[in-house]
Amino acid sequence: MTRVVGQPVIRSDAWRKVTGASYYTVDVTLPAMLVGKLLRSPYAHARIVHMDISRARQVPGVAAVVAGNGRASPWGGHIWDQPVLPADVVRYRGEPLVAVAAESEAAAEEALRLVEVVYEALPSVFDPEQAMEPGAPLLHPQMMEYWRNEAVCRPIPGTNAVNRTRFRVGSVTTGFSEAAAVVEATFTVPGIEHVTLEPTAAVAWWERDDRLTVWTSTQCPFVVRDQLAHVVGLPLHKVRVIVPDVGGGFGGKGNMRIEPYAALLSRECHRPVKMVHSRYEEFVGSTIGHPAKIRIKLGATRDGVLTAIQTTAFYDTGAYGDSGEMVSWQGGLGGAGPYRVPHVAIDSYAVYTNKVPAGAFRGMGWPQMLFAIESAIDMLSARLQIDPVEFRLKNLLENGDRFVTGEVLESVTLRECLLKAREAIDWDAPTPPNRGRGVALVMKSSVNNSTASAVVKIHEDTTVQLVIGAPEIGQGSHSAMAQIAAEILGVAYDAVEVTNPDTAFSPYDRGAISDRTTFHLGQAVYEAATQARQQLLAAAADWLEANPADLEICEGYVMVKGVPARTAPLAAVARRAYRVKGGPIIGEGRHLEEGIVPLDPLTGQSPKAVSHYKYGAQAVEVEVDRELGMVKVLRVVSVHDCGRAINPIQVSGQIEGAVVQGLGLALWEALQFEDGQVMNPSLMDYHVPMAPEIPEIVPILVECPHPHSPFGVKGIGEPGIIGVAPAVANAVSRAVGIRIFDLPLAPERVLRALQATQGRAR
Amino acid sequence: MTLHLILNGMPVSCECGPSEPLLEVLHERLNVRSPRRGCDDSYCGACSVLLDGQLVHSCTVLAAAFDGSDVVTAEGLMKDGRLHPVQEAFLRHGATQCGYCTAGFLMAAVAVLNESRTPSPNEIANAMRGNICRCTGYQKIVHAIHDVARQGEGGDFA
Repeated sequence: MTRVVGQPVIRSDAWRKVTGASYYTVDVTLPAMLVGKLLRSPYAHARIVHMDISRARQVPGVAAVVAGNGRASPWGGHIWDQPVLPADVVRYRGEPLVAVAAESEAAAEEALRLVEVVYEALPSVFDPEQAMEPGAPLLHPQMMEYWRNEAVCRPIPGTNAVNRTRFRVGSVTTGFSEAAAVVEATFTVPGIEHVTLEPTAAVAWWERDDRLTVWTSTQCPFVVRDQLAHVVGLPLHKVRVIVPDVGGGFGGKGNMRIEPYAALLSRECHRPVKMVHSRYEEFVGSTIGHPAKIRIKLGATRDGVLTAIQTTAFYDTGAYGDSGEMVSWQGGLGGAGPYRVPHVAIDSYAVYTNKVPAGAFRGMGWPQMLFAIESAIDMLSARLQIDPVEFRLKNLLENGDRFVTGEVLESVTLRECLLKAREAIDWDAPTPPNRGRGVALVMKSSVNNSTASAVVKIHEDTTVQLVIGAPEIGQGSHSAMAQIAAEILGVAYDAVEVTNPDTAFSPYDRGAISDRTTFHLGQAVYEAATQARQQLLAAAADWLEANPADLEICEGYVMVKGVPARTAPLAAVARRAYRVKGGPIIGEGRHLEEGIVPLDPLTGQSPKAVSHYKYGAQAVEVEVDRELGMVKVLRVVSVHDCGRAINPIQVSGQIEGAVVQGLGLALWEALQFEDGQVMNPSLMDYHVPMAPEIPEIVPILVECPHPHSPFGVKGIGEPGIIGVAPAVANAVSRAVGIRIFDLPLAPERVLRALQATQGRAR
Repeated sequence: MTLHLILNGMPVSCECGPSEPLLEVLHERLNVRSPRRGCDDSYCGACSVLLDGQLVHSCTVLAAAFDGSDVVTAEGLMKDGRLHPVQEAFLRHGATQCGYCTAGFLMAAVAVLNESRTPSPNEIANAMRGNICRCTGYQKIVHAIHDVARQGEGGDFA
C-alpha cells in the first residue's frame, strides 16, 4: 500500500500556471539586456565567397556582431558536424550565418540588413534516398573526420548516410520462401514541427571574468551546459545553465539551440543578450520531426504466422545530425515491430539532405516506423482474410520472446493491452457504411544511456527540498518526483518542494527526454529519499534508544513499531540532526542503467540494447466522407502499460496529449518543402489540432510493474503518439477499402485513392 | 499618448505609441505577463484577454484605440484571495501542463461561460477554436470548463 504514490494529487506548478505567476525564459529580464537576432541563409547549399559585417557594426545601438564560426568549435549530438556560425558553406535555408546584439529589435534588424554576403550556389539534394545514390552532392565530405559516438553513430563513408543501424536475424530468403503471402509497400511520413507554445528562447550573460550564465527553455540543462562549454571553450564550472518554467518540449529542446549565439554575442560586449525565436524561425530554423521513407516486405504462412520481414528506412535528417543518428537507431529497433519474426533484415539510415535539421520528436523514430509496420500488418491480414486483431494476437511479442536484438524481453503486456483496446472500441460490433475501426500495437524503446542523480535535503522543520536536474516541461515530473520522495520519507506530498534545475547546484541529469524522467531519475530520487530516511531513523534511534530497524515514520512522528508510547516528532528529529550531527540530513541518489551493450554493427545483436521497452495498443473508429475525402475520427482508445501510475491524472494527461499529436500526424500536420524551403512556416498554414476537431479519447492503463524501477514505473510520455496514425489508416481501409501509404490522410489523398478504386470497379 | 485602462479592476495608465499592440503594452509597460506570445499571426490564442468583456487576441489589438477600456487577464481572475471556479477546475482536472497557453484558455473559458451559462462540451470546444494547446490534447480543458458549467458557478467577469 502506498500513501502518496498512485494518488491524483494536483501538480505543484499548477497554481502558478493558472494565476499567471509562472515564469518562463521569455520572462527573464536583466539590467542592460540586449536583444539578439540572426541572419539566416537564403540558400539551401552554397559556398560563402565573401562576407562583410563592417556596416552592420556601425548601426547605432548595435553592441556586437559575430559571424564566420564566431571562434566556436563544431558541435552536435552524437556527431559533431555542426558549425555554430559557418564560415565556408551553408547547408540549409534558414541556417544562421551572422548574429547581432543591439539595444532594440529594430537596430538589430537594420544591422542584419547591412550584412553583405556573396554566395556561390552548390548543387543540393532534398530526398534522402536520392541523397544515398552515387554522385549525389555530399553535404559533409569530411564526415568521417568529425568526432562521433561510435556506439550509435555509424556513418557510411563517402555518402550522405550519417548512420546505418542494421539488424539481422535468421535468413529472410528462407523466411519469405516459407511464406504463403507476402506484402511489399513503401510508406512515407512527412516532417512535422514540435510547435511548443513557448518558442525557443535564451538569455546569456558572459561576465568580464569569463563566467557564462544562461537562462534557457530546454529539456536538457546539462546537455546544453556541456555543449556550450565545448563550443566556447570554457570549463564546466564557468558555465551555469538555469532553467525556469519551460513551455513545452516534445523533443525540440533536447540539444543546444539558440544559446550559443546569445553566448557568443555576450562574450563580445559582456552584457546580457536575450534571443527568442519568432514562430517563423521555429519552423525554418529550429529542428523538426524526421520525414521518413520506409520500405516493408512482410511474409506469413497461410494460417497467419509471420515468417520474415525486410525493412529499409530512410530518416531524412536534414543538414546536420542533431539527434538524427539516434532517431534512426531507435526507429531501427522498431523495424520488425512488436512481433515475433524468425527472419529479420532491417536497415535504418539517417541521411543528410539540404533541409532544416531534423532531430528528436516525441516517439524518436518509432511513430514513422510503426506507421509502416502496422499498416503492412493489416494489409497482410487482409490478404490472408484473418481479422487484424486475431492476426496480431498470433504474432505479438510475449514475455520470454527474443527481440530483434536477440535480448529476451520481460514485462511484456502487448496481449493484455490489445485485448483491452479491442473491448473498449467495441471491435466486433457492426458498423454503418463508410465507418470502420482500426487498431495498432505500440512499442517504444527508452534511451540507452541515462545518468540520473538527485539530492534530498531535509530542512529543520522536516520540509524537504528535492534537488534534481530534470526540468519541468509540462509533463508533470516535478510532481511525480515529489510523490516518490514523500512516499519514502513518510511526509506529506506538499512538504516536498522540487527545485527547477540550475547546473551550479543541481546534480547531473540527462534531461527530460525519452520517457526517462520517472523511470531513471525516479530511481535516483528513490535512492536519495531512502538514504535520507535512513539518516532520519538513525538520528531518531539514538534519541529513542531503539534499533533503527524497529522504527517507522507515520504522520509526522517516528515511532517504535508496536510501542505507541515511544515516539519522537519528525521535526524534532530533523532539528536534532542539525545540532547533534552538525548539519542537515542530506540523501544522495544515483542511477545508471547497468549492462547496456552497444549493438553489433552488422547484426544489431546485444544482450541489452536499452533500459526498457514500453507497450500499448490503440484503436480508433473513423467515418469517411466519400464526397469530400474527409476522414473524421470519432473515438480513440489508447491502452498503455505504465507499470505503475505515480499520478493517474498526469498519466492520462500524457496519453491524451500524445494521442492528439498522433491525430495531427495522421490527418493534418506536414511541413511542405520546395527546394528545401519550408512553404508553410506559420500556424495559419501548418495545421496543428484544435479543440473542436478532437474526438473522445479514452485512456486505459494497464499496470504491470517493471521489476527494477521505483514502484514498478515505466515511461508514458511518448507511446500515445505512436499507434494513432496507423490505427487511423487501418480504420479508413476497413471503412472504404482504400490503403493510404503516405501521411497525412489529407482529403485530396483520400479522394484520389477513392477515385482509383471506383475506377477499378468500373 | 497616455493610455488609461481598468486593468483587472484597477485604474492604470501608461505611455503608449499609436501602433503598439495591447500585448506589448501589457508586457512592457504594465508588467502583466500571463497573456503570452506564441505566434506571429494571431493564431495561437496564448495572448487572449477580455477587452470590455470580449475575448480578443491582445497581440493584434492596437492599445491606443481602447483608451478607457476594461481589460481582464488571468492575474485578475482571483477574488478575495480565492481562485476563480475555472482556475479551480483546471487544477482539479489536470488541465494545465506546460502552462504557456493556460491563461489564454482561462480567458476563453470565462468568455464562453459568460455568454452561455450552460454550454455543452461541444459548444465549449468550439469556443476554444482560437486557442492552441500542444500538451493536454484539449480533453481535460473541455472537461474542466464543462464541470464549472454544470455546477453553474462560472461567475461574471465581463
